[in-house]
Amino acid sequence: MSGGVATVPRSGSEPAKSWRTNRKLDQWIAFWSVPFFFNLFGLVFVPLSWMMPPRSPSSPTPRIVDFMHSHNLLIACVILTLAYGLAPVSNACYLMQVKRMSVSPAFRYSMMVGAMTGAIVGMLFPMFCFGLGAFRPGYSTAVLTMLYDFGYLAFIGSLGCFCVMWMAFGLAIILDENNILPKWLGYYTIWQYVTELMAAPVWIVKSGPFAWNGLMTFWFAMILYVSWQFIVYFCIFKAIKNQPESEFA
Amino acid sequence: MNTRGQRILLWTAPPAVALFVLAYFAFPVFSPPLSPTLTPDQVAAFFRGNVTGILGVSILCNLIACSLVPLFAVTAVQMSRSATSSPVFTYAYIICVGVGTTAFILADYCWGMAAFRPDRDPQLTSLLNDMAWFFFVAPVGTIMVQNLCFALSVYLDQRPDPIFPRWVAHFNVATVAFLAPGAFSILYKSGPLAWNGPLSFTLRLTTFAVYITVMFWALLRAVNHQGDERVALA
Repeated sequence: MSGGVATVPRSGSEPAKSWRTNRKLDQWIAFWSVPFFFNLFGLVFVPLSWMMPPRSPSSPTPRIVDFMHSHNLLIACVILTLAYGLAPVSNACYLMQVKRMSVSPAFRYSMMVGAMTGAIVGMLFPMFCFGLGAFRPGYSTAVLTMLYDFGYLAFIGSLGCFCVMWMAFGLAIILDENNILPKWLGYYTIWQYVTELMAAPVWIVKSGPFAWNGLMTFWFAMILYVSWQFIVYFCIFKAIKNQPESEFA
Repeated sequence: MNTRGQRILLWTAPPAVALFVLAYFAFPVFSPPLSPTLTPDQVAAFFRGNVTGILGVSILCNLIACSLVPLFAVTAVQMSRSATSSPVFTYAYIICVGVGTTAFILADYCWGMAAFRPDRDPQLTSLLNDMAWFFFVAPVGTIMVQNLCFALSVYLDQRPDPIFPRWVAHFNVATVAFLAPGAFSILYKSGPLAWNGPLSFTLRLTTFAVYITVMFWALLRAVNHQGDERVALA
């Protein structure tokens, strides 16, 4: 990752100089922390804890209890509690480009609050629900199944904090007159918003395409989200790279 | 623009700290810190026997939970004065403060909930107590990143007359190392890393206390040196 920080800024038009004196070093550090964070995030939720892909809401109770007792949930919890502070850094990195747009600061303030609330209800709280089950194996079945439901519903069914983020981000791109990010990205972001609406039925149904592990609410939303995340990341890269030095005070 | 507002906000920190110290010494759960090895019945008995103390401190902490936010807000303002290409670390810092403070409030709620109706099923009282300790001790990730963001903004500051001396940045990096062990309290029920152990509990709280004190003086100095210079955060 440090190699990226060292080489990327040199590709600009300015003469090659030490990466340490690059004016955009702060933004590049934040930018390269994003893949680091998402890799850890993926590691925690997929191969380490097997929380994802989600287990069924209608799993038989003994299987839920078995899963809630797995020791790996605790290790996943530790890694997440150490790493979840990096989520604000990636949000801040994206926010810096929204700040350059011609739109009101209200857009980035909305995104900021969405990021704060989302980190707790969509990341830390659900992970702790799973971790608590594994921490004290003596809990009754009723407690463990409640933690299982609460963990999955908070993780997949946290909607509003992300709605406001995608809405503010998409609108800011579309309304921006400085062309910081491409307009089509703004329209693509509307799809992100739609996936949050589509996930609302996870609070009602326990099987089928609209359950929390369903084809529409999880897999379709995940495919849209992952590709969207990659594209946004690439667009942010270009935006930082193209930011003229004359903008800095 | 004068800095009177920032100085007023800064001076709200010492009374806030005094109230936190009072809450710490008055909280039955911390003297000594409850062992993670207690059974649900023992935990329930403890909560039944200490309702007044636990509930009183929960209410006090509910009221003062956000009382250090002004100190962090002034930190953010001073960070935003550093000469970097963007306030990216300032924004990350503010988001981290919001997330970390919420985790503390959730811990407070869980202890308050357990004491509110102490005759609940001991399993549930024990769950609330475990959840409170998780939220109180483990989520060190945000304050670690917060202090790293602060340190980076000091290191990258290209002003000829830096806002903070470099040792404050080194100090913030050191606190990151001392706070990290708290995350491992999830893995152990006894020993130095357990939530009542010397590394997860004592070292972490001591580091935090020293950190707040040092930052208070560093900020006071930075604000006094700001003079008439405008702040460009937005």
